[in-house]
Amino acid sequence: MIRTARDWRPSVIAALAAAAVLLAAGVLMAIYQEQLYSSQQVRSVREQAQILAGSVTAAVVFDDHNAAQEYVDALRVNPELEGAGIYSGHGQLMAGFARGTRLPSQVTEAETSFGSGYIDIAVPVSQNGDQMGIVLLRAVTEPEERRIARYAGLILLVTMGALVIAVLSFSQAALSRRARQLASVNRRLQEEMEERRKTEEALRQSHKMEAIGQLSGGIAHDFNNLIMIVKGNLRLLKRKLGADAEHAAAYIASADEALDRAAHLTQRILAFSRRQPLTPQRVNLSTLAQGLSELIRHSVGEKVEITMRLTASWSTLCDINQMENVLLNLAINARDAMPDGGRLVVETRDMTLTQPPPDVEGEFVPGEYVALAVIDTGTGMPEEVRRRAVDPFFTTKPQGKGTGLGLSMTFGFVRQSGGYLVIDSAPGRGTAITILMPRDQEAA
Amino acid sequence: MRAAPFLAGTVMAGMALWTSAWADASLEYAVKAAYLPKFIPFITWPEGSFASATAPVNICLLGADPFGGKLDQEAGALKAGERPVVVRHLAEPDPEASCQLLFMGAGDDPALVEGTLDAMKGRPVVTVTDSGLKAHGVISFVIDANHVRFDIDDAAAMQDGLTISSKLLGLAHAVRQRSQP
Repeated sequence: MIRTARDWRPSVIAALAAAAVLLAAGVLMAIYQEQLYSSQQVRSVREQAQILAGSVTAAVVFDDHNAAQEYVDALRVNPELEGAGIYSGHGQLMAGFARGTRLPSQVTEAETSFGSGYIDIAVPVSQNGDQMGIVLLRAVTEPEERRIARYAGLILLVTMGALVIAVLSFSQAALSRRARQLASVNRRLQEEMEERRKTEEALRQSHKMEAIGQLSGGIAHDFNNLIMIVKGNLRLLKRKLGADAEHAAAYIASADEALDRAAHLTQRILAFSRRQPLTPQRVNLSTLAQGLSELIRHSVGEKVEITMRLTASWSTLCDINQMENVLLNLAINARDAMPDGGRLVVETRDMTLTQPPPDVEGEFVPGEYVALAVIDTGTGMPEEVRRRAVDPFFTTKPQGKGTGLGLSMTFGFVRQSGGYLVIDSAPGRGTAITILMPRDQEAA
Repeated sequence: MRAAPFLAGTVMAGMALWTSAWADASLEYAVKAAYLPKFIPFITWPEGSFASATAPVNICLLGADPFGGKLDQEAGALKAGERPVVVRHLAEPDPEASCQLLFMGAGDDPALVEGTLDAMKGRPVVTVTDSGLKAHGVISFVIDANHVRFDIDDAAAMQDGLTISSKLLGLAHAVRQRSQP
């Protein structure tokens, strides 16, 4: 499955959201730290102011500017303090210092006020609960720009981290998308390779059959002529001998019989090589199978249960005798596959094919077909046997029991009649052999 | 001197204070008159010195009044906590008079001053001697670079059972420490 480009979005969005949360947390942290710092600073400065206010009482009360100045000057060592001032009971500046800014000349209220870059913290100088004067400390506060600049580096780092996360997750999504595409392409490639391999094998098989067919067909044809010559000469010899033939009759009959068998063999070879003379006739395969049902039943014996499912109504053109031979042959093969009995199904059906059936080599013509299938519940065939089943002289039966020509003859006949032979089998699952004959269009 | 620019303002505001231009003797005594009641919050008298919690703090003046009535004005405006500050004028040294502060001016007879100081030894009375007097009480005014300052004899104060705040000691021109003989 190739996932759409939409799929990477959730992960990237999640990454960006995480980055945003990180950023927000960082900002909150910074603000909190800043506030904590400034409140701590205010507290510390207020404490210093209170200490000063406590010790400067006498100087304020006696209006001793020198003494007050000494107290204030002691605070100069504190770099956090921008300035400090001591104010008399009337609010006048008695003593003080300021580094860059000017202290107010009069302070009457002990309160905290803010200036740009500094904060003024004023505490009362009191004696017996009476306010005798005011101590004002001016603490440096960092200007807003400098504070932002201090955090800018951090913000930059966090933002870059967020970007890296986003880019990574994006490329991760892209990578996995590529991997999926690659996997699917690979799968398709493998399927195509497998298909190609099957096609090549089928083609090779087809060529092999063609070659064997031509070779054996040519030999069988000439051989048949030779048999005819021998047979004719044998007949002439019999006539020539006349009355003397009686003691030679047994030999002549024996030779004649052998010649008949040889002729039969060449007929079968010719059938396989599609060179036998056929007389195609219009036939309904259901009718044909129905007519053979008694013979089939007789041939396969009691142990095999026979089911006829004859639903085909279309007609086809083929040599009736040959087709009967083929059906009988297939039934006998099925019986041999079920030595302990089983079930045999003979089925006919009308089929419209647009795709070639499995293992059909050569050119397939899509169209209407009549199928004749012989299905058994026998031992079945392993794949390598199934593939060689139509090879001439290939047999799994013990020597002398089978000629290895049955299925190849069937195959030759079917191909010669314009049909197809499909073998479906697996060990233990039985075998289904289907003959697909083209529908006789003129009859339609 | 930093203080100079502030002076005009404070004088005009009616505050009788010390000055760098020490032209007027009456200004000197105005400063001293302002100082005397201000000592009170920095001094702790022994228990039993006062008749009650609201009994007044008495500032006694021995002999002539060098302040010209200014002390009475300053004291009248002040309260030491719950206690009013009262100025008492004594013609003769009176050991029985309930004095918390006893001021002896420069115009007083030195012999009388010394006698009075001897008489007050061991009593919880803060003796204040004017500048110019040879004898020194617990607190003695001095003129230093045209400024009214004061010395404190903390050892004598201890003998009298008095405790003087370190804040005031810190402001003094000179202090005779307790540990000193």
